[in-house]
Amino acid sequence: MALYNFKKIMVVPTAKDFIDLTLSKTQRKTPTVVHKHYQIHRIRHFYMRKVKFTQQNYHDRLSQILTDFPKLDDIHPFYADLMNVLYDKDHYKLALGQINIAKNLIDNVAKDYVRLMKYGDSLYRCKQLKRAALGRMCTILKRQKQSLEYLEQVRQHLSRLPTIDPNTRTLLLCGYPNVGKSSFINKVTRADVEVQPYAFTTKSLFVGHMDYKYLRWQVVDTPGILDHPLEERNTIEMQAITALAHLRSAVLYVMDVSEQCGHTLSQQLELFNNIRPLFANKPLIVMANKCDVRKISELSEENQKVFADLTAEGVTVIETSALTDEGVMQVKTEACDRLLTHRVDTKMKSKKVHDVLNRLHLAVPAKRDQKERPPFIPEGALIRRKAMETDTPKRKLERDLEVELGEDYTLDLQKYWDLMNPEEKEDKIPEIWEGHNIADYVDPEIMKRLEELEQEEELREKAGEYDSEEESEDEEMKEIRQLASQIREKRKLKILASKEKDKQGPRIPRTAKKVERATLEKEMGDLGLDMTDKDDSHYAQRSRSLVRKRKREVSAPPTSRTRSQSASRPPRDQSGVRDAKMLKKVKTMMKSSQKDMNRQGRKGESDRHVFDLKPKHLLSGKRKSGTTSRR
Amino acid sequence: MRIEKCYFCSAPVYPGHGMMFVRNDCKSFRFCRSKCHRNFKKKRNPRKTRWTKAFRKSAGKELTLDNALEFEKRRNIPVKYNRELWSKTMVAMKKVEVIKTKRQARFIINRLKKGKELEKAADISEVKKNIHLIKAPHAGQAKQLEDKMVQKLAEDVHMDE
Repeated sequence: MALYNFKKIMVVPTAKDFIDLTLSKTQRKTPTVVHKHYQIHRIRHFYMRKVKFTQQNYHDRLSQILTDFPKLDDIHPFYADLMNVLYDKDHYKLALGQINIAKNLIDNVAKDYVRLMKYGDSLYRCKQLKRAALGRMCTILKRQKQSLEYLEQVRQHLSRLPTIDPNTRTLLLCGYPNVGKSSFINKVTRADVEVQPYAFTTKSLFVGHMDYKYLRWQVVDTPGILDHPLEERNTIEMQAITALAHLRSAVLYVMDVSEQCGHTLSQQLELFNNIRPLFANKPLIVMANKCDVRKISELSEENQKVFADLTAEGVTVIETSALTDEGVMQVKTEACDRLLTHRVDTKMKSKKVHDVLNRLHLAVPAKRDQKERPPFIPEGALIRRKAMETDTPKRKLERDLEVELGEDYTLDLQKYWDLMNPEEKEDKIPEIWEGHNIADYVDPEIMKRLEELEQEEELREKAGEYDSEEESEDEEMKEIRQLASQIREKRKLKILASKEKDKQGPRIPRTAKKVERATLEKEMGDLGLDMTDKDDSHYAQRSRSLVRKRKREVSAPPTSRTRSQSASRPPRDQSGVRDAKMLKKVKTMMKSSQKDMNRQGRKGESDRHVFDLKPKHLLSGKRKSGTTSRR
Repeated sequence: MRIEKCYFCSAPVYPGHGMMFVRNDCKSFRFCRSKCHRNFKKKRNPRKTRWTKAFRKSAGKELTLDNALEFEKRRNIPVKYNRELWSKTMVAMKKVEVIKTKRQARFIINRLKKGKELEKAADISEVKKNIHLIKAPHAGQAKQLEDKMVQKLAEDVHMDE
């Protein structure tokens, strides 16, 4: 509903701000770079985009303003009237109208210039067109400065209006200024309205909420109304009048009996009669406020008559004092009740009620016979009720005991137990024994069952179930066991020994291995055989491998000359060498010729093997300084 | 105060020990230590986990059906305290405990009897088959055989003569 959107109206920027905002947005959100040498369609598109973007922004923002501000025809007449009073309906509508016109003008401008841009044939022309378009849009907006300012002020004021729901239960306070309306609202609700001795302290409507009969009630405080004709009323008073006119509420007309407000009782009565027409169809209560200062009974005769007249007409008059709270509650309840009944009545008279009424049906059981059947209250309930009324505590409570004993008090619920032998109440009950819960064994028939069990046990013992069988193992069995364990041990050792052998690679067959005499004799001895005196046995004889070879004789020397020459031939590195000096030189020559080859790691002259055909350090990496002739 | 049973291994859970887990279907599980709790979380079946009492009972390794075991039973209706009854119960409890342990021990002994016989037979067969690993077949007989041979030769020679 429009009621709640008053706070959600977007901020209306000033004309200058608006223009700055939009233009900077255009600059930021559209591309900025364009050059002469671009293709013409691209240039055109660039500038058209800017124009359209600006137009779009203005359009959006202005439309938003137009939709946010409430239409005076669409909202509740109370608010419409209130806004009229505060802001002048005509001015308001005019401002919004101007905005609308501005929006349309901007749209037209943009349309025109975009159309023109299609025929722009150079960057300069398009740019000028864009400048013109944007300039025109901005001037349109500059002319709306006044409207925008006005709307901003309206918006700010509107968001601060109190949320009065025109349809819910309301109590409306009215009367002269300074009679005590604001004090009353402060008393009845949580509102905190300013209360001051000068007139027109309350300058606008204030709302407070209170609860009564589980319902929410609005209490509306109005500024004071003076007694002039409607045309001469100022804005502040008009607000009160508007509220009176449109809100369907209970009216509380507040009168100052003590005349402290500065107006006599007759003046107040005048006002009352003047605005009486506004009270039509509304439950009315007259509050004679400030009765702590002067009561009605203390008034003069004629003034009392005034009040008597009022009561005679059927108007309820209640004496109240906002200071001492006298009569405040009474007024509240009276007003609320009357308003509720009034509302129910109006609802009943309206057309929609029949829809609901048709569907409601109260079922009442039909009387079967003439027998009286009053409600039944059991004896105990009656007694208890009586006990409640006499107000004497019948028994001593734990709490009382606790208070009495103070620090010594311990909560002992065992004393309330209901046992067969009451003297056992203070027993400490065992719960656990040796890992068993005693509660699991407790059974009234346990002794009987135990007897049966014991009998059974006796029978079993007699039958010999529990006789421990002796290990009737004779010597033989024992020996067998021992031997078996020895066998197992020996076997395990053998397995271990075989695992330790290193069986990788070719193995010497067992028969080629030499068996030591000592180990053989030891093994056979362990097995129980007698291995003494075995020097004559076949394995103790010496084998052929120990026999030595016969010695060769020295051979005869050779006889022929060639043989003798060959015997005395000089070694190769000395043949053809004259003397030691030459020998030395020859040796150095040999060494130096070998040096090169040794350095290059070559075996000899014929070794042309290249170890690294493609060395990595020459063929990898970037082409920095140096040649790449060898790549 | 009660000593509860661990859900997984059936060990006693004393007050102040272990953990309790309550499932969404309102069934509560108590565990004596985190070992059981962790096994439970791994969704292991206590009836298949060999070290638990549940396995032992379901696999017939321990006494399950016996009158002595019926004495300790969780009762749903508590009995009102009665000094005499409680003292009698304490006495009975001790006696029942004795009988119960005796019977349980006997059960296990009977179960293990078969094993002893199998052991005996295994030993006998072992000795029969592999006696050669510790004792040569004719260990003490070499000398005897030799003497016999000598005697026989002497007899033959004597015959020839």
